Amino acid sequence: MLDFFTIFSKGGLVLWCFQGVRGPAATAPVNALIRSVLLQERGGNNSFTHEALTLKYKLDNQFELVFVVGFQKILTLTYVDKLIDDVHKEFRDKYRNEFQQKGALGLLNGTFDFKDDFMRLLREAEESSKVRAPTVMKTFEQSLKSQKTVKCMIETRGEKPKEKVKNKKNKGSKKDGTEGVAAPSKASAGDKQLSAAGDKEELTKDEILQKNREEFFRRHMKAGEKSRSPKPDAQKEKGKKPRVWDLGNSNAKVLDYSNSATNGSAEACPVEEFDPDMALGDKNREPGRLYDLEYESDDEAEEEKVVQNPSKPSVKKGGLGGMFGMLKGLVGSKSLTREDMDPVLEKMKDHLIAKNVAAEIAVQLCESVAKKLEGKVMGTFTTVTSTVKQALQEALVQILQPQRRVDVLRDVMDAQRHRRPYVVTFCGVNGVGKSTNLAKAGQDPGSQDRGDGISFWLIENGFSVLIAACDTFRAGAVEQLRTHTRRLNALHPPESHGGRTMVQLYEKGYGKDAAGIAMEAISYARNQGFDVVLVDTAGRMQDNAPLMTALAKLIAVNAPDLVLFVGEALVGNEAVDQLVKFNKALADHSMAQTPRLIDGIVLTKFDTIDDKVGAAISMTYITSKPIVFVGTGQTYCDLRSLNAKAVVAALMKA
Amino acid sequence: MAGGLEPHLEALRRELGGPAVLSVLIALVAVAITFLIWRFVQGRRSSRKAVLLLGLCDAGKTLLFARLLSGRYRDTQTSITDSSAVYRVSRDKSTNVTLIDLPGHESLRLQFLERFKAAARAIVFVVDSVAFQREVKDVAEFLYQVLVDSTVLRNAPALLIACNKQDVTMAKSAKLIQQQLEKELNTLRVTRSAAPTSLDGSATGGPAQLGKKGKDFDFSQLPMKVEFVECSARGSKGEEGEADLEGLEKWLVKVA
Repeated sequence: MLDFFTIFSKGGLVLWCFQGVRGPAATAPVNALIRSVLLQERGGNNSFTHEALTLKYKLDNQFELVFVVGFQKILTLTYVDKLIDDVHKEFRDKYRNEFQQKGALGLLNGTFDFKDDFMRLLREAEESSKVRAPTVMKTFEQSLKSQKTVKCMIETRGEKPKEKVKNKKNKGSKKDGTEGVAAPSKASAGDKQLSAAGDKEELTKDEILQKNREEFFRRHMKAGEKSRSPKPDAQKEKGKKPRVWDLGNSNAKVLDYSNSATNGSAEACPVEEFDPDMALGDKNREPGRLYDLEYESDDEAEEEKVVQNPSKPSVKKGGLGGMFGMLKGLVGSKSLTREDMDPVLEKMKDHLIAKNVAAEIAVQLCESVAKKLEGKVMGTFTTVTSTVKQALQEALVQILQPQRRVDVLRDVMDAQRHRRPYVVTFCGVNGVGKSTNLAKAGQDPGSQDRGDGISFWLIENGFSVLIAACDTFRAGAVEQLRTHTRRLNALHPPESHGGRTMVQLYEKGYGKDAAGIAMEAISYARNQGFDVVLVDTAGRMQDNAPLMTALAKLIAVNAPDLVLFVGEALVGNEAVDQLVKFNKALADHSMAQTPRLIDGIVLTKFDTIDDKVGAAISMTYITSKPIVFVGTGQTYCDLRSLNAKAVVAALMKA
Repeated sequence: MAGGLEPHLEALRRELGGPAVLSVLIALVAVAITFLIWRFVQGRRSSRKAVLLLGLCDAGKTLLFARLLSGRYRDTQTSITDSSAVYRVSRDKSTNVTLIDLPGHESLRLQFLERFKAAARAIVFVVDSVAFQREVKDVAEFLYQVLVDSTVLRNAPALLIACNKQDVTMAKSAKLIQQQLEKELNTLRVTRSAAPTSLDGSATGGPAQLGKKGKDFDFSQLPMKVEFVECSARGSKGEEGEADLEGLEKWLVKVA
């Protein structure tokens, strides 16, 4: 059923591979797995889908191995997790010698003939997951019911309303004593089921109220059960008139249920013994019923199971064991467990969130780092904190390194050679600084806003720029661009650049269609021989569907060379939402097979955050695209590029 | 006063003249000298004994690594970490070099380069000759980053550009690759130095100018020896046959 199973070292050598059912070669999906999950620090959950395959993987951080299994997406194989764990253990134990050799020679020279063991483990795993044959129903003679006498099965009223309710699974019972109990318990069961099925985190006020009410009833039920049942009986007797039935006008004695069955003596039927058991059984099986005590014991039971499962030597707790463990840690043969890392990771996560990294990204990052470090053997004299910090730092630098090349000038030169303009589009929400960073022009000592924008930088490098004013909505947008253009032309007059105007504004006023203006601007640039076209769009909120459609249309129709998302460095968790929705809108409304998504990020207002630089991490993590420009706005040279190491250092600073 | 000192000096001389103390002194001095020499020699020996295998993703570095060390063909995946092993350069010489295979993925390559560049005695830059036409900009950019690195410029390790995958018919020749790289690096010099400076003031291009100003870039202008060699890690006879690594091995012998 499996398509393939590979075991390879983190250095890239495939140690053993199993090609199952006529599947394609394993290399391409595994490479995709490595690139998108492990290298982008999304290693939180251990499964990944690639085209038609689902890939599940496990990392061995002690010996630097990766175990990957691939199977068809439409199948749901339940034994895969267990299989990976078993294979991991067996492989590690069998070839321990090769792994412990220094350097890669052990891996290169060893032959890993694992096929027989693997087939055996696979067979075991498949068998353990097979559905057992449906059990044959017992005949009536075999069942317990046939052995009971009729009298035993008559349930007396006062004693067993609780069990009866449970047995009938809350089918509405007409008894007064039990109605009070049944109602809240029924409601709470339903509620609990809902809450269990739905979001576990959301405990609305109502549900809390319900829970409390239910507890209250239960507590009083136990105490007042005995006292309550005779009371309503007494009331009933007062108001009730003996009913006359047509059939069965038997004497009142038989019909009188008020006698408590204190004669639970020799004739005590097996039902009495069985009922509590059955009740308990029901208690455990009902999903909604979570009493306080049981809840805790369930948790404890789970914890015990979890601790027993991993076969790794768990850290011994207790006086001597603790000291031994500490010594071992000093010497350097201690392997990292989840429990060791959890407190440190919690602290790091809070630290990251304090530095303005979006909360979900901080969580995912810490998960991924935990996965990478689990089982790793620490070096001598390194503490858990330092190892985790080191790993986190590496992960952050990795995220900030661009996945694709980021060299605008180079690409502009290329486009110049092909005699077409290089089109850059700026998009973003309102007020992040698109027009400002685009068009800001140099060093006018008297002006308020100093510093360089992107067009200034391009002009300094000798490229002629056409600014397309596609912000047809905001009042004063066109005038702002016109003022900047005039100043730019004053700074770089045509005479000093061989007679051609370095920068020009293409505008069609307000209220027109932005995509149309952009298209005209590009053809105008091509005719006039401009090198770069900077398209300035209107700011829009990511939730505004018609505006997002309009933006997507602009980008899809004009096919710019570079789509830059302008975001401010002050944004926190919003960054995630903005980028996701922008990308989604661009992907949804594009006709092409591979839609144009955001290619790069411009981070503005960087001088307003001193070292809370988390927004950079959030944005690059979401899109995995690089930060192309950073706008600072206070120093002379305003346009900067991002230095990954400096940003990470600022992030990790206490 | 001289008289006052003299008896003291005499006493000292008598004490120091004692054979036990003298021998102890000599022993101490000998130990100190040995220690210093040992430190010096080890420092010389352990620094710069590594040959780094760099290159883009899928250039064939890991397979090259496996072939050089074991001679056999191995399946490979994208590397996530480095692998290192001691490589015996040739049968008669007893010199060993440590071959280090670094991952080529964009997010990892600079990190690992930082870690190992100080120990590099030589660098093998592996280029995929088949996909070169498509990837020339990325190849040039990585090569540029390696070349302007301050540690690399200072140590000037020997550089070999191995044009891999020559077993495929569409592979470009070493000469063509050299020309294209020179042209591309020429352009990169200009664009990189004009790129916006980074936040804390350290420029991305570095103050180092690659080659001579004014003239077109040429590999001979670099402070280190650069050679181009064609090789094929897979080998022309497929997976079972030998790899075609003669040029590479000869160069390694020269460098070690």
